[in-house]
Amino acid sequence: MAGQTDMELIKDGVRLDGRKPDELREVKITAGVLDNADGSCYLEWGNNKIYAGVFGPMECHPRHKQKADRAIVQARYTMAPFSVNDRKRPGLDRRSSEISYIVSQAFEKVVMVEEFPKASIRVDMQVVEAHAGTRCAAMTAASVALADAGIPMRDMIPACASGKVNDVVVLDLNKEEDNYGQADLPLAIIPSTGEVVLLQLDGHLTPEQFEEAMDLATSGCMDLYKIMRDALDKSYGGKK
Amino acid sequence: MSEESKNNKKSENSKGFVLPGDLLETKSKPGKGIFRKDGRVYSSVVGYSNDRSGYMNVNAIKGRYNPKVGDKIVAVCAETGPSVWRMDIGAAFNSTLHHSESGWKVPFGDTARFLSIGDAVWAEVFMVDAAGSHQITLKKDDCRKLYSGTVVKVEPTAVPRVIGKQGSMITAIREKTNTRIQIGQNGFIWIDGKGEDISKAQKAMETIDKEASSEGLTKKIEKLLEK
Repeated sequence: MAGQTDMELIKDGVRLDGRKPDELREVKITAGVLDNADGSCYLEWGNNKIYAGVFGPMECHPRHKQKADRAIVQARYTMAPFSVNDRKRPGLDRRSSEISYIVSQAFEKVVMVEEFPKASIRVDMQVVEAHAGTRCAAMTAASVALADAGIPMRDMIPACASGKVNDVVVLDLNKEEDNYGQADLPLAIIPSTGEVVLLQLDGHLTPEQFEEAMDLATSGCMDLYKIMRDALDKSYGGKK
Repeated sequence: MSEESKNNKKSENSKGFVLPGDLLETKSKPGKGIFRKDGRVYSSVVGYSNDRSGYMNVNAIKGRYNPKVGDKIVAVCAETGPSVWRMDIGAAFNSTLHHSESGWKVPFGDTARFLSIGDAVWAEVFMVDAAGSHQITLKKDDCRKLYSGTVVKVEPTAVPRVIGKQGSMITAIREKTNTRIQIGQNGFIWIDGKGEDISKAQKAMETIDKEASSEGLTKKIEKLLEK
């Protein structure tokens, strides 16, 4: 948000990468790509490349985090050192701890945690290549991986960001728009009920622009939901 | 096969394929793999819906073993305590095998002499409680320690395919590879025999696990074993 640039991010309703303001980048999802995880997913979203793996339900460690009446979701978001231009120091930092935490919170809303007391469901998201919007992309990948692991849940969560560049509200910011834009609003919803399970806002939006950005992100989530369903249908639906 | 007929086949076969949150039209009682909301029934897992014998079930494609009392399983020792063994059965939690359920006279603290880490047993689930913990026993029918051999793990959901109709698949594998095989409901399969025979049977199991939802498996496996 803070960066300055001479680039014209949006011109005559066409963005730098040729998209319209309400267009998603190309999303490719493949379920069940890892043998050792209980469930997994590989996702390509524009230039983002993300692997998600799910383990569990299994015994919760550390023990003091166990809940006597339900399972907990332990999400872990990490970026590979080579995922960004400047080498990222590996391991958890302030940003990835935050994302891990909010993703855990979001998934505890849809996963039927009450079916597995004292258990833990581990969700590992590894960003292999980052190009803006990785928290949404990682959540989407994790949703598919959870479904792939056969973990009972009420719905899958698609997540998608909208934002503002050159005073235009746009869907799914790319790297340049994220760096030099005016606002970024990641959103995750439960499609069947419309409940919001993740909402953040970085930058400035007027109340009207906020409403517009919410609507745009919601419709983006619904488009994404279709892609997620198609991916699982492609992996498993054609058989039997 | 042309692209078009491929697509037709897919849509035909996709019948009953459901994803989490899909509404299921049914008047049957709710079974497994579903949840209820506002008097309606929804799928909670990725799987195939099955509305038979008065119950609406969704059979998940994957998932951990859910222990049920009376299930015959293969368990692998994961940990030894002074008077219990903690057994890996592929469920969310390790199962407990208490020394009094083993049939051996175990002196306190001497459990590892009878069953050490990595040893397999053929056992029965005899207690499951609401908190998700479960116990197994060796004091039933043909339950015993499994000496030698190896344990292969497949998805618990693939077990019916490993057995086949009236045991056709497992009979074929046993005869073709000349091995002794015990199939646990938990997807752990114990195979004993000559080294190369074991690896042959193991390969067959892995193939079944991978292609559990395709048709004509028995013939395919028979062909694989004749090589």
